[in-house]
Amino acid sequence: MISEQLLYSLAGIGLFGIGLRATLLHHMLIPRLLALNVCGAGVFLIFITIAYAGAESRPDAVPHALVLTGIVVAVSATAMSLALGRRLEALNDE
Amino acid sequence: MMNDAIIWVIIIPLLGSLISISWSRYASLTAIISNLLALAASIVIVNQVYQSGPFIHELGGWQAGLGISLRADALSSVLLLMSMLVVSAATFYASSYFTDAVKRARFWPLWLMLVVALNALLLSGDLFNLYVTLELLSLSAVALTALSDSRAALQAAIRYLSIGLLGSLVFLAGVALVYMGYGTLDLLALSNKIDASPLSQVAFGLLTAGLLIKSALFPLHFWLPSAHASAPAPVSAALSALVVKVAVYILLRLWMDVFDQVLTPLSAMLLGTLGAIAVIWGSWQALQAQRLKLMAAYSTVAQIGYLFIFLPLIVALPEGSLKDAAFTALLLMALTHGFAKSAFFLSAGVIQQYCGHDRIAELAGTARALPLTTFVIALSGVALIGLPPSGSFLGKWYLVSSSFQAGQWWWVVVIAVGSILATAYVFRILGYAFGPRESVGRVLNGGRKEIPALILALFATLILGFGSAGLWDFVSQHRYFPGS
Amino acid sequence: MIELLWSVFDLSLVLLLLALAWGTCSTRDVMRAVTLFIAMGLLLAIIWARLKAPDLALAEAVIGAGISGALFLSAIKDYPSTITVSHRTPVLQGLINAFTLALVILMSWAVWHGLNMSDGIRLSDQVVAQAPVSGVSNPVTAVLLNFRAYDTLLELAVVLTAVLTVLTLNDRRYSHVVSSPLLQGMTHWLVPLLVVTSGYLLWVGAHAPGGAFQAGAMLAAAMILLQLAFPSRRQQFSLYLVRFLLVIGIFTFVVVGIWMLLLNDVFLAFDPDWAGTLILIIETMATLSIATALALAYLGGRPMGWEEGARNNSASTENEGAG
Repeated sequence: MISEQLLYSLAGIGLFGIGLRATLLHHMLIPRLLALNVCGAGVFLIFITIAYAGAESRPDAVPHALVLTGIVVAVSATAMSLALGRRLEALNDE
Repeated sequence: MMNDAIIWVIIIPLLGSLISISWSRYASLTAIISNLLALAASIVIVNQVYQSGPFIHELGGWQAGLGISLRADALSSVLLLMSMLVVSAATFYASSYFTDAVKRARFWPLWLMLVVALNALLLSGDLFNLYVTLELLSLSAVALTALSDSRAALQAAIRYLSIGLLGSLVFLAGVALVYMGYGTLDLLALSNKIDASPLSQVAFGLLTAGLLIKSALFPLHFWLPSAHASAPAPVSAALSALVVKVAVYILLRLWMDVFDQVLTPLSAMLLGTLGAIAVIWGSWQALQAQRLKLMAAYSTVAQIGYLFIFLPLIVALPEGSLKDAAFTALLLMALTHGFAKSAFFLSAGVIQQYCGHDRIAELAGTARALPLTTFVIALSGVALIGLPPSGSFLGKWYLVSSSFQAGQWWWVVVIAVGSILATAYVFRILGYAFGPRESVGRVLNGGRKEIPALILALFATLILGFGSAGLWDFVSQHRYFPGS
Repeated sequence: MIELLWSVFDLSLVLLLLALAWGTCSTRDVMRAVTLFIAMGLLLAIIWARLKAPDLALAEAVIGAGISGALFLSAIKDYPSTITVSHRTPVLQGLINAFTLALVILMSWAVWHGLNMSDGIRLSDQVVAQAPVSGVSNPVTAVLLNFRAYDTLLELAVVLTAVLTVLTLNDRRYSHVVSSPLLQGMTHWLVPLLVVTSGYLLWVGAHAPGGAFQAGAMLAAAMILLQLAFPSRRQQFSLYLVRFLLVIGIFTFVVVGIWMLLLNDVFLAFDPDWAGTLILIIETMATLSIATALALAYLGGRPMGWEEGARNNSASTENEGAG
């Protein structure tokens, strides 16, 4: 049996790859932003998998804190990107 | 209390930012005071490293590893000092650059956040903390770029942010792999633990790739010219002189200290080659540029290339005085460019506000109308070309001699071509500026607009050129990983 | 047998996750992309819970899927509904595909080796060892607000910078507000529920999953709901209060840190006796700041009158004499 850690790590890498590919391919802002969030989710998944120590033991709390920071940073960056996009639209309409 | 300067240099700008959000009336004053205090703190830090060697502040009192540590050594403290000097000068300039009170109120909180990000990054001793500071830096830099509120600026800002976020995520992936293999995030601990393994190699690649995006090394530089050219002048100064530079700093830190067992001469050669292409291509594009700020932005691409050419040399040279000399020369070039480019951008800002545009071909009469500014451009141009007595002359001198010592003579050709192109694009500007024109109105006198740029340019061309002797000993003695 | 069931469960979660991610990134319809993204966020929350990260499950659900999803849904209102990918030449597309595939394979190879690398003392052991002295018993909170509190401080700065930018760029959106008596009725009991839950999450974060960020996002949801249900162009909250709330989180954090610096000679070093109280104070202020920030981010820009102070300044300096 493949260990859970390996499975979820590969899943994280897969997400990272899917998101990376889409970020490079898209030129419209919102699809690219969604792709970047997917990419970030992949990295977070890798972190949490590192933290997971099996069903019996307590997980490592440090990556949990790091990912929490990462989620907040990601949503901040997303909000900022969307605001920039909206401002550009407003300028284009003028 | 003196030991705490390492904290104050980060916290004072942060408090300044909070104050300028709450009371926009006093924002300019707050910013000037905060930056001057932070400048004083950075001088204290450099002095402390000079007197007693590198030091550490373990935040929260937890030993590094469990907690985050702040570390100051020769490399980071000197860069910190340069950063605060540039920021202080640009702050003075900015206080008179923005005539619109609304724009001013928007500018100061973000500007001070940028300062916080720069200082926190340079002093960080923790790999994940570096990621957070990189994000803060990215976001504040993009926000400041967008302040110009033009279509070009917004487009450049959006591209800058997307690329920056991608770079950060790639960096973070590298951090994840490092933690997976080595169980710690502290840079000093990692430097002892990391050895060559598939995991560390891939992590190294990811971290480097993320940082290359942020340092705008060819071919990942395409976001830079439009962003630096369309940002407000004081912002462009900070972007070219500092924001790009600190990404190179992190790369140096990781390459020299943390991943020194993992890197290969081939990888260094690859980056050196990309740097060489950046020098040629960036200088060529600068020569073609029609606008002053765009030219300066491409020049930044080229100058960053020079820094990367140092890498294969430093890796190839044996431990000892030759290696240290090359490393210090890299630092000297980084410092000189920081001062020179910021002086250049501030002057470009003066010209843009005076003439209403920054098209190079229409700069005739500038020399007569803005003599001080033209002089500053000439001074910083000297530093960009690498003529004596600028600091970059010494830097290029050592670059050339290191190339011969390491047996990699081909870099000399690149340096020569790059310098010739730089001469061409600097003299092109001066040629137009000295061109004749009918009455151009009153001559602008100095003051807050022009003096800061003058001081910066003097640093680049005179102070660093003549006064850099002490730098060599300082750096070789006080890097915090002794004899790595 | 149980092992097999778990493996099947994990495998289905992973496959579903990858399918949702692929769907989000490849679909041609913007609305579908955002919907799949929100679904992916919720699935991630389930995966975090499965991987024994309940704090993250909460955070992902409310911030990653909730606030992010709301931001995107709001943004696509005036956005073209089809996604075009036509700008990249086929050669470039092929290169990107090949490059990404190679990177994935490389990383997988690295991870395969890496998972077998065991190491001496892991940080987790240290966290568990020091947790009793940290003032809280939830190890994630201990790391966030004690061991690595400096990261959290900078993270709050990141949030503030993002919100400042949003405020700098646009005026707030009014177009998407459609109120109805049903929504207003629901708000009467939903908002208090959200506020109470938020307070609970904040309080319980010391010894169980929860904390400032989850609480802050919930509070933001309550604020957003209020604005949606009772739209009014006139500013309901005092702008001074809003500014105060935005900065109070970082301000408290810094003040406590400096106080500790002056007391103990180290920034943010909490005495074990006071740690719990100090952390709660910091977290409470941080919750308020995060909530205000996220709510403003959703509203999309400046409330009316946000920059009146600056305009008044400029008017008065103009009166003082021509430039």
